[in-house]
Amino acid sequence: MPGVDHCLQEAMAIPGAVGASIVDYTTGFPVATTGAAPNSDHEAAAAGTADVVQAATSRSLLVSAVPHDLLEDLIITTAGGYHLLRLVHTEFDSRLVLYLWLDRQLGNLAVARRRMQKLADDLVAT
Amino acid sequence: MTATKTAGPARLLTQVAADRQTGALVVGGHPGGAVYVLEGRVIYAESPAAPGVGELLTASGRLAGRTWQTAIDQGTSTARVGRLLVEQGHLTQGELELCVLGATYDAAYFALSPTGAPVEFLDGAMHWLGPVAHIDPAAVNREVRRRTRMLDSIFPDARVDTAAVTPVARPPRERITLTALQWELLVHADGQRTPADLALLLGRAGFATIAELRRLAAAGLLELPEVRAEPPEFVRLPVARGAAVDVRRPPPATGDPPPAPPVPSVPPVPPAPSVPPVPVVRGPRPEDNSSAGPVNSTGAGTVYRPPRLARRKPGAKLPKEVAGEAPPAHPGTDEVLLKRIRTALRALR
Repeated sequence: MPGVDHCLQEAMAIPGAVGASIVDYTTGFPVATTGAAPNSDHEAAAAGTADVVQAATSRSLLVSAVPHDLLEDLIITTAGGYHLLRLVHTEFDSRLVLYLWLDRQLGNLAVARRRMQKLADDLVAT
Repeated sequence: MTATKTAGPARLLTQVAADRQTGALVVGGHPGGAVYVLEGRVIYAESPAAPGVGELLTASGRLAGRTWQTAIDQGTSTARVGRLLVEQGHLTQGELELCVLGATYDAAYFALSPTGAPVEFLDGAMHWLGPVAHIDPAAVNREVRRRTRMLDSIFPDARVDTAAVTPVARPPRERITLTALQWELLVHADGQRTPADLALLLGRAGFATIAELRRLAAAGLLELPEVRAEPPEFVRLPVARGAAVDVRRPPPATGDPPPAPPVPSVPPVPPAPSVPPVPVVRGPRPEDNSSAGPVNSTGAGTVYRPPRLARRKPGAKLPKEVAGEAPPAHPGTDEVLLKRIRTALRALR
């Protein structure tokens, strides 16, 4: 039975992972965190993460063009790393996103993306 | 149990946490709430303005009401409802933790954001859900303050959070864009439901609901509530109808003021000089006033007789057009209510 902490441990086991967190994107609050965060501030990183997800879900028409075309993940690439945001779809009301900071040299984006998908699914699957 | 005192709930929580106490911090006022602490760590919070774990799980259809009720029945006395649900395979550990974390921060906002409220600490009280999450109280307080600032940056008018939600009849622009939750809120807003009602009805987090409502208000899509003198009632009590007192009724005798019920809406009647002070028999039924009251010897035409209603024989059925259809039965409502009361009482033990 994977809990929240277990899920984050698994995320940190992804090759190249630097830090991971679960963020409530309505409020920009890190529900759980592990590892490092950009500027070593998980709360600021979470607030930024929330802004990005909000921009993609509510202020962009990209995701609502087709019915049931839900946002799955967002990838932000910087010179030094990748930031993966995977939305966690729970059946009950919550707006959560699984965030992973990946080192650009050590990490493999394709592998990390697949692992993140599995983690997000396992967290809420029965 | 400490005596009730008016204080900043957030400060008291810090105090309780510093002493590594166990119990419940009960915050009065509107909406109020309770924060449960286990050895100085926050394990759960609840508030009437925020749907709890049970409401979130059942309103979304994630758990059947029966499943939830069974877990409550079995686990309340030992405070392990949460663990039971996971052990019996109804929820994953991840879902339970996320749901509890979300509900706790949500309710904590409503319970801890007032700067002054009647607060008491129930020493040793334990929530029936059991310890699922262990949150640093400092983080909870920080988050509550951040949420307050966030709401104010969206639309600095706290009336939106409590008043009944009324959408404007005509949008102020040609084209408007709504999020899914905003749509849900507008569709279910009927001018009667408060934000707390809507959150419970839809199974949406209380804070997310008021955040979206403030966004709607900022966009000019909500009628702003008028300033109200009294604090908003979260439980809608039956309002006393404007008592049907006839204005032409002679005033009661001046020497014997009857214990009049508070009827603020009736304008004061100036005593008519032509009518002699007559003792008025104050019966329980309003029509008694007209028949027994004015035994008026002057016959000055001040006697008010209501139009007589058609009498129905005892046992006779109502005419069809009056009777209409029987009110819809709500099967099981009483049972659910009784079970909830039982649950609440058990939790107090």
